[in-house]
Formats: sequence, structure tokens, C-alpha cells
Amino acid sequence: MAQTAATTASQQQPIPPSLALPPSQFARLQPHAYLLAHLSPPASSNQPSIRANGRSPLQFRVTSANAGSLTHTNGSAVVRVGDTAAVCGVRAEILHTDDIASWSVSRPAAPESNKKRRKLADTNQKPTQESADVATQNNKEDGSEDDQEDESYIQDFNLLVPNLSLSTGCAPGFLPGAPPSTLAQGLSHQILSLLHSSRLVREDDLRIWYQPLDLGAEDLERRNESEQMDVDAAQNDQQHKNREIKAFWVLYIDIMIISLAGNPFDAAWAAVVAALRDTKLPRAWWDEDNEMVLCSEAVSEAKKLSLRGMPVASSFVVFEADAAAGWRAVVIPDAEEEEMIDEAKRKGLQRRWILADPDGYEEGLSQERVSVVVDKKDGKVVVLRMEKNGGWAVGPKELRQVVDVSAQRWDEVKLILEQC
Amino acid sequence: MDRRRINGPPSGTRPAVFASSIKTAPGAATERPKRQRQSNELRKIFLKTGIIPTASGSSYVEFEPSASLAAAHSSPQSLIPSSSSLKLACTVHGPKPLPRSATFSPNIVLTTHVKYAPFAARKRKGHIRDTGERDLGVHLETALRGVIVAERWPKSGLDITITVLEAEDDRWWGDAADSHDASWGMMNVLAGCVTAASAAIADARIDCLDLVAGGVAALVSDDSTKDEEGPKLILDADPAEHQSIQSACVVAYMPGRDEITELWLKGDSSKASLGDGDQRVGHEALIDGAVDAARGAHTVLTEAVKESAERFIRQAMG
Amino acid sequence: MAATLPSLAIPGQRLGSTTSYAAGPGTHVYDAVIYASIAGPVIVDQAQAKSKAKSLLTVSRSINRQTGATPSGAATVKPTVSTTAPKPATTKPKLKYNTLPAVDSVVLARVTRVQKRQVTVSILVVLDELSSSQVSDPSKTTSDNDNIESILSSAANPENHSSSDELRFQALIRKEDVRAVEKDRVIMDEMFRVGDIVRGTIISLGDQSFYYITTARNDLGVVMARSEAGNMMFPVSWKEMRDPVTGLGELRKVARPF
Repeated sequence: MAQTAATTASQQQPIPPSLALPPSQFARLQPHAYLLAHLSPPASSNQPSIRANGRSPLQFRVTSANAGSLTHTNGSAVVRVGDTAAVCGVRAEILHTDDIASWSVSRPAAPESNKKRRKLADTNQKPTQESADVATQNNKEDGSEDDQEDESYIQDFNLLVPNLSLSTGCAPGFLPGAPPSTLAQGLSHQILSLLHSSRLVREDDLRIWYQPLDLGAEDLERRNESEQMDVDAAQNDQQHKNREIKAFWVLYIDIMIISLAGNPFDAAWAAVVAALRDTKLPRAWWDEDNEMVLCSEAVSEAKKLSLRGMPVASSFVVFEADAAAGWRAVVIPDAEEEEMIDEAKRKGLQRRWILADPDGYEEGLSQERVSVVVDKKDGKVVVLRMEKNGGWAVGPKELRQVVDVSAQRWDEVKLILEQC
Repeated sequence: MDRRRINGPPSGTRPAVFASSIKTAPGAATERPKRQRQSNELRKIFLKTGIIPTASGSSYVEFEPSASLAAAHSSPQSLIPSSSSLKLACTVHGPKPLPRSATFSPNIVLTTHVKYAPFAARKRKGHIRDTGERDLGVHLETALRGVIVAERWPKSGLDITITVLEAEDDRWWGDAADSHDASWGMMNVLAGCVTAASAAIADARIDCLDLVAGGVAALVSDDSTKDEEGPKLILDADPAEHQSIQSACVVAYMPGRDEITELWLKGDSSKASLGDGDQRVGHEALIDGAVDAARGAHTVLTEAVKESAERFIRQAMG
Repeated sequence: MAATLPSLAIPGQRLGSTTSYAAGPGTHVYDAVIYASIAGPVIVDQAQAKSKAKSLLTVSRSINRQTGATPSGAATVKPTVSTTAPKPATTKPKLKYNTLPAVDSVVLARVTRVQKRQVTVSILVVLDELSSSQVSDPSKTTSDNDNIESILSSAANPENHSSSDELRFQALIRKEDVRAVEKDRVIMDEMFRVGDIVRGTIISLGDQSFYYITTARNDLGVVMARSEAGNMMFPVSWKEMRDPVTGLGELRKVARPF
């Protein structure tokens, strides 16, 4: 795997002869020069530019996924991306609408007003969402008509609760038992906002209904069942005048990063998607006698979530040949400088590399970072989110390349997630 | 409210209640799983070292699921798992410098942490360590302290962190919450922690006197047990498989020296006996049972650590 | 006798009696029996024929190819017997019981702070005894503190770059330990700058938080440094390095290049 590749690469790669140091010491003492020596082998050697870990610049690490192995979850998955490993467990609990403070106030008298309220909420949220997310307009293509207004409860009532933990001994420097580090908090929030903006989970899957007994008991039983089977049951609202939502499923999505060797976000997100794909919710109904929601334990009656698409995250860093780039005062490169870089590139002298799926070593040597989340629908690439920070090297041209690579990566990850 | 975490609904949520569990007549469909193993037969242990390369040493331990759980996995009928099987990951970081505030220590300073993942057990665990988790950390530390050759690593620290991904049950889910009156599952977890930590420390090549292994024995009574027979002593008990547990014992044991570094015994062990003709009774019998279980874990440990050493040699040779 | 030794030992494994062997690193003695305390290849260092000393039994934590120790891990391989070439007793490498910095260890460290009376450094590499004394081919030794794979995977702590120094052992170079001559005329700013890589030897385990390091030898001092312009400099004399781009010189306590 990557291990053997790394050792052979470090043996082949030329190391400046003046430094009579074994590669490992060189790697530790002069990390920047070490990575640079790998990426820019002398022209005479005819060797391709290769990273210290043996990968080509746009190569991702070997990825594997395994779902459904944790007993006490509604869905679970383990995803390994190289030496970074994430375990995700989804646990569903019940939120009674009686317990929602704002529910009785905003409680829909009729489905009609309900829709209006939700629309209002939607427009209120739009501006803030758009600043964070590049493109969500594509959602219309999703199919079901109820999509447009069905998400506000998920956000308003916190029905999706992702938390990522790094306090697992996954890397030195993260104290076990300490409160979540800044990195862990940041990752949790990124996952939450991506769950919301990608609208991966359908609110309809999370509703638990009550149909008052104005029909025969048998009749009701049958109807309940058919509703469970029918994804778009919500659309029959008008027919069920008395039907009301009595509770919601709340999905606690906990991600434990078991091993951290760079790029935790891609692995964590893949684990979340794989675990949600594995998630089954029991058939649930409001039981009037007990005044509570009851569930059926029968696996045959449980239902999988019907997720919207399969968003895949791909992260990149930019490595600059100029070691001091990070130390110097920030100056936006002028056209002249850009020209010089292009010129150097023509001569085969690369000064800047975009590295896909960085390991921890590379992350420590780069200031600039790009993260892209894409999905594919009918062969069409849809960018769900794009985040770029800490530099200016990546322009529109590079972004296009990054999106192309992410789209290729989507195909790879899709196969892995579908088979797990 | 904890602002550093994503919080769920402010009113809190309730775990799912299954209709079958509140019916007045006990459901005939679900029965307590039965132990399929001999009384001295251990579940298989899967143990692998070196899974986490950013750590100086690491290991992963998984107990083979009990027969009923394995059957439920292969052809799922019910959403309620019949039992549970231990899964945990252990990392060792160090030897590393002690924190600036620490005083000079001529020995290595051991720190142990045991934390359950929120989804590790039937009941959702909080993010902050509870007393049970702290207890486990303390028991683990005593189990290991007597094993490490601490004076060989002056003024340095060693952090041992265990993440429990799936814990053992304290009792069968169908029993009333207080029916077993103690957290028996925790003892199995501790045994797993000891074995996992031992493998990870060896993987980090920190000097040890021996590979310390964990083992559990318990005194149980079942519906089938006739009164005159009394409670039965079994090794590596899965609490979900028994109607009542009278007593249980977990040891951390070094076979090479025949030494117990940690012992934790709960309940009334006076009726324990190892079987026909065996003189040992009471707590002695129970402890010896736990030691036998630890010996079983030690053979698995030996293989895993050998494998770790071979991997290291291969790596070093390129 | 030697044939009964395993090629590969695990902690707690019985290796031999103290009547026939002396216990070396990686082992411990209990009840007059030598046991392995770490997992690794068993190495017997045969005593010289003339001396009455017993053969030294060690479980190695570093694979040293120069001694020809090539246990394959297969159980059939006989324990490696390395005969130490007759050498003056003074050059015999000291026994190493751990991978921590010890007195006389040669280390490579990065300067993190320069003060008037001392500089603080963060130890990056503890060099093997052998690789420092026989620099001819240092790539032939590997010890567990320089496994390239773990270096590459380990994150420079993304939280806070300075805290990665907290994971490394800290040391001080006091003003009087910088060089052997003209000690009273040492000006720290002209010896070291933050970021320099320094070769030094440990003179004392120091207090709870710092080791003490000396550079008072010709072969010790700054081995790598960047100029103020950010370029790697090359040494031009024992007290000066030069930036190849700007041509400007900067003062340092330079280690003699090999």
C-alpha cells in the first residue's frame, strides 16, 4: 500500500549530497526542503514529480469503508483514508412535538398555513446560506416537489446533531478528556452546515405522525403501513385533515476520529454519508393509551433513509517551492510575478503544487487549503460546497482543475460507499 | 449548554421505546440469549497492533459476538440487539516530555484514559467522562503500573488512551434495569482494556516485565440451574446471557511471574467452586477462574505482539 | 547454549540464566533469569575470548545493519551473533536502554528562543551512538525514533504550531557551554538564531523541564540555518555562514562541516 510506496520513493529520491543525513532525519529537520526535493527531482534524473509519501500530486490515498458493524446504532460506518480513520455511529432518538417550546405557537392549524410559515423561514435563511455555500440551486432537480419547503424543521429543531471527537488518542497533541479542540469544533460545524446545505436527509423521513381514530382500527393499521412505505406520504396531507406530527426522529451523528494522519474532513464526511446510508429507522407511531411514541422492533418494518444524492468531499493543499512564502508579509502577487511563475512552468520548473488529500506532514507545510464537495446527478457534476482559505495561489483556472479532480474522486468514493 | 459541541433539541430527546417491551405479558418472541459455550470456554479475541501509525503504539481489540448476536447479524429479525460485543481501540503516545508544570520524575509517568463513544452502549453516553469511565481509567492504571519498567524512562510521560466503540451489556435488555444491580459489563470492558493496552505498550516498545492480560470469571445462576446445584462458575461471562450474576471478578495477570497486578471482585462469591474434586472455593475459585481467562487472552496477546515485532523488523529492513 | 535462544523475543519471555549471560538493554533480570522486556530481535554480543566477561544478551530496539543483525522473524533463524571487533575500550558504544536523550547523546535540535544567557532548543533527533561516531554511512541504521512513515503521517499539530514543541524534549544551551574558547566574549545573538538547527551533546539531564546541551566542540554548533532573507546558508568559517543569493554573511557558532 502507501507504506511500501513511501519507502521506495524515499530511497530513490535524490537528497542533496551535502547533507549526510538519513532521509528520516532530513524529513524531520528540513521538512520543506524534503518535500520539495521529492516534488522537483533534478531534470536530469527523468523522474516524475512525486510526493514524499510516494503519491503523485493529485493522487488520493487508498480508501476503504465498512458499514453496519456497530451493534447499538441505527447505522454505522468505518472509513479509512490511508492512515486517517473515522468511525461514525448514528443514533436515532425521539423528540415529541409537545416538548418543542415553539411548536404549539407555530403549530399549523392546516397544512396550508404551515407551508407559508416554512416558506417565510426559507427566505429568511437564504442570504446567510449563500455566503457559505457556492451552489445549492441545483436542488430543484431532485425530483419530489415537497423538497422546496421541507427542510426548515431539520434546522429549526436541531434534528441532526453531528459531533466529531479528536480526543481519542488519534494523534499526539490532542489531550484525551479535554474539551473539544478548536479543530474538532470546526469540523463538527462544517459537517452540520454541509448536512443542512446539501439537504442530504429528508425531513419527511424524520416525521412521526398521528392519525386520530375516526376510522376502524384495522383500517388505520393498514393506512399506517402504507404511509411508511410511501416516501411522499406528506403530499397526501390534504386527504388526512386530522393527521398531525406528534414527534420527530433526532439523529445523533457521532464521529470518532480513531487515527489522524491528515485531512480528517474527507474521511469524517465519507463516514457520515456511509453511516446515514446504513441507517434504518423503526416504524414508529403515536400510541394514545400510553401517550408516547412506540416503535416496532421488526426489522422488516424498519425503513432506510432516502438520502438526496451522495456528496463527496475532496480536500487539497497548496505547497509553495519558496519556503519563506509563509513567513513573508502578505503581498498579493502582481501580474508580473504570475507571469514569472507561468514562464518557469513552461521551462519545466514548477514552483507550486496542488496536493490532493494531504497527509499530516503536508498539511503542516502548506498555508493554502481548498475543500470541495461535489455530487453527480445523471452524470452532471454539481458543486455543493467550496471552501478556500489561507492563500492566493488558487485562481479560477486551478479551481476548475480541483473540481475536475474532485469529480473523478466522486466516482471512486461512490463505488466504495456502494459496496460497503 | 455546551457551546463547544453541537447540541440537540434543548428539551432533550427520548430513546426509542419498542412496543414489544411494554406489553404486560412478556413477549414470547424475544428470549434471553443462551450461552452456547462451555463454562471454561472463552469467546475468541481479535487483536491487532500498529493500526494507528501516528501513535508510538496502538492496538484494536474485538470480542467475538455471542452466538445469539452473531445469528442476529446474519439474519436480522429484531432491531433490539440480543447482546453486545466489545470493540475498542487503544493508543500509546510517548515517551514524551512531561508538562512544564510537572515536577521532576525519575520514572515514566503513566496517564490512562478510558472513554466510551456516545454510541457504545444501549444508553447514549455523554461526551464528558462519567464516574464509570473514570473508574476504568484508574483500574487500568493500577493494572499497568506494576508491569512497566518505569525507571528505564526517566522524566518522561506515557499517555494511554482507550476509545470504547462498543461496550458489553450489564444485563439482558429485557430485564428490569436494577435486576443485576451492578455494572458487570464494565468488568469485561476492563479486561479488554488491559489486554489492549498491554499490546499497545509492547507495540511502542516500552520495557515491560511481562505481557499483562485481562480475564473475567463470574458466578451465575440461570433458570435452568437446579437449586441443589447452586450457582455456576463460568469464564468470560456475557452478562446478557444470564438471569442473575452473583459475583464476578476481573484480574490483570502476568503469567510469566504468576502475579496479579489488578484485581476487582464484586458480589457474593462464597458459593463459587471450580468443579468436582477441586479444593478451591469461594473467592479463591473465582479469582483462579479469572486468571485462567487471562491466560487465554495472553496466548492471543503473544501472537499479536510477535506480529508487531516482525512488522517492525520488516519496516526497518526496508 | 546459544542455540536455545529465540531469534525474536516478546516481553516476559525467558531468555537465559545470569550465570551464562549478562543482561543488556531490552531485558530485565528476575530470580537470576534474564527475561525480555521489549519485543524485538535477540542479539548476543559475544564476549572477547580473553576476558572473563559474559556474553551480553540484548533485545534490540534498533535494527543495526552494520552488525549484520538480520533476523527475518522466521522462527528458524538462529540468534544473531555479532562479534565486536577488538576496539579500545573507550570507543565501545554505551549501552542504550531507551530512546530518550542521555548524557553524551548527540542530538539535533531547533532553536526556539534566544536569550542573553541561554538559548532554548527543541530536540528533534537523538542520533544513534553508531551513526554519530561512524558518519560514513548513517543511512544504514534505523532506530524507532526515526521511522519515516510515522514522521510523514504525524501532523504538525494543526491546532497550534508552537504546541508541537511541547511534544518534544526541551533543552538549554547556556552561554558558557557554547564554545570552548573565549567563553566570556560569547554574545548569544551572534551564535544562534531562532529556527537554526544545532548539533550538540547532552551534558546533563538537567531539571524537570530542560536537558543541558553543549556545543563546545568543533564538530558541534549550527548545522543548518536560514538567512534573514529566508535562504539556506552555507558555512564559510567557524563563525560565519553566507546566503548564496544575497551574498550577505551572518554570524553563527558553526559546526565544522564533515
